Amino acid sequence: MKVTVVSRSGRELVKGGLELNDSASVADLQEAIYKRTKKFYPSRQRLTLPLPPGSKDRPIVLNYKKSLKDYCDGNSDNITVVFKDLGPQVSYRTLFFWEYLGPLILYPVFYFFPVYQYFGYKGERVIHPVQTYALCYWCFHYFKRIMETFFVHRFSHATSPLSNVFRNCAYYWTFGSYIAYYLNHPLYTPVSDLQMKIGFGFGLICQVANFYCHILLRNLRTPDGSGGYQIPRGFLFNIVTCANYTTEIYQWLGFTIATQTVAGYAFLVVAAMIMTNWALAKHRRLKKLFDGKDGRPKYPRRWVILPPFL
Amino acid sequence: MAGVFELLRRLYLTLYNWTVFVGWAQVLFLAVRTLKESGHEHVYNSVEKPLLLAQTAAVLEILHGLVGLVRSPITATLPQIGSRLYVTWGILYSFPEIRTHFLVSSLVISWSITEIIRYSFFGTKEALGFAPSWLMWLRYSTFFLLYPTGISSEVGLIYFALPYIKKSDKYCVRMPNTWNFSFDYFYAAILVLGVYVPGSPHMYSYMLGQRKKALSKSKRE
Repeated sequence: MKVTVVSRSGRELVKGGLELNDSASVADLQEAIYKRTKKFYPSRQRLTLPLPPGSKDRPIVLNYKKSLKDYCDGNSDNITVVFKDLGPQVSYRTLFFWEYLGPLILYPVFYFFPVYQYFGYKGERVIHPVQTYALCYWCFHYFKRIMETFFVHRFSHATSPLSNVFRNCAYYWTFGSYIAYYLNHPLYTPVSDLQMKIGFGFGLICQVANFYCHILLRNLRTPDGSGGYQIPRGFLFNIVTCANYTTEIYQWLGFTIATQTVAGYAFLVVAAMIMTNWALAKHRRLKKLFDGKDGRPKYPRRWVILPPFL
Repeated sequence: MAGVFELLRRLYLTLYNWTVFVGWAQVLFLAVRTLKESGHEHVYNSVEKPLLLAQTAAVLEILHGLVGLVRSPITATLPQIGSRLYVTWGILYSFPEIRTHFLVSSLVISWSITEIIRYSFFGTKEALGFAPSWLMWLRYSTFFLLYPTGISSEVGLIYFALPYIKKSDKYCVRMPNTWNFSFDYFYAAILVLGVYVPGSPHMYSYMLGQRKKALSKSKRE
């Protein structure tokens, strides 16, 4: 069949179009486009079916696993696809690794090295026990995240735009340094022993719970990346859609209760807001996907992220 | 019912815009008169009251955007109002040593001319349902000159106020304290200066885009 590839402004991206097998898959089409354009490797391509002009609907995105025939609604000799360049891509693993590496490395710098003399604090620095525990907790957390990135997570998308590397690293590395600065400060004031123990204890429990949530989510998908979106079940997922975010937020709450810095609370609030946004989108998507029609199960009534509020 | 609300909205906004217009007209009048009669060192003292009132009233505009009384996105109004309030209260009001600087004159004149045009434009639009084309042209063209002069005055005043900020220790929070928090107003001011670097071209190009949209729309009508 003949495939015409146009940009969103209507210009033909591949002059003369492409000639493909009738049984070709979208992945084959992506390979062919890459061969002709040389610049746009498959993960950079977003291919959609053309929308009638003025239509307010969202365009249908071609799934790389499906065959092209599935998208031809009548005429199987000819199909037009609209191309969008998603920009340079990196794998999600690369993105997560770099954003988590920053906090893992930068925090210990404030603990181990005499950086505060450059901020005008000369003289000896007394290290409180809580500051040592905080170092261990923090580094364990980001080490856990990196391990999960490589061994636990099964991603729905293989790649993410390169620009996200800079944006996400700025977020993690800046907040990480901001918290590390106050936590390891020579004039740091610890909270009571009891408050510290409760905070760290609660945080650790939530980290374990969070890890278990990640395992449950992983088992929803098969190793080859198919499986898309499923209804999560078991453990806290039975009452809350994004139990993984819930446990993550509570884990930071525990850490911040134990260490008591405004910087820590600021990070907690921002992180909670970001995760709440994600959770709302995920909850909405799952409800839309699992509407109870055509044999699909109906998505059960659940909290989105933070019972009893949302 | 909807008609009543619409009428009330227009009435309120007409009143609001023209009231603040009067405030800024006062600022411009007093500033120019003081410059001619006494010199730039005395400009702040003469405009202080109407300036503080008119500029702070702009906080209402954030509310207007949030509740949907006006269409402006708060992403555009927030940085604008933020920088104005910072310079007005956080620099001029808080550090009297800077008030005699000549940049105060260029600042209040740039601001007041811009605001006189802006508030009369919106005041007319809400009252009559439209604004005359010459007023629209003014609103979307004077920024070519007044943005650069205004922004340079803001940046300049923040920069020249730095020594006074450092000496005074005002608004600073020092450690140790139970919340393990610190805030240094001097370094925060330097950070603000840094934000002006990407912020100014962003605001300028936003106005350019608004100009294109507004002037082409009026051509088609």
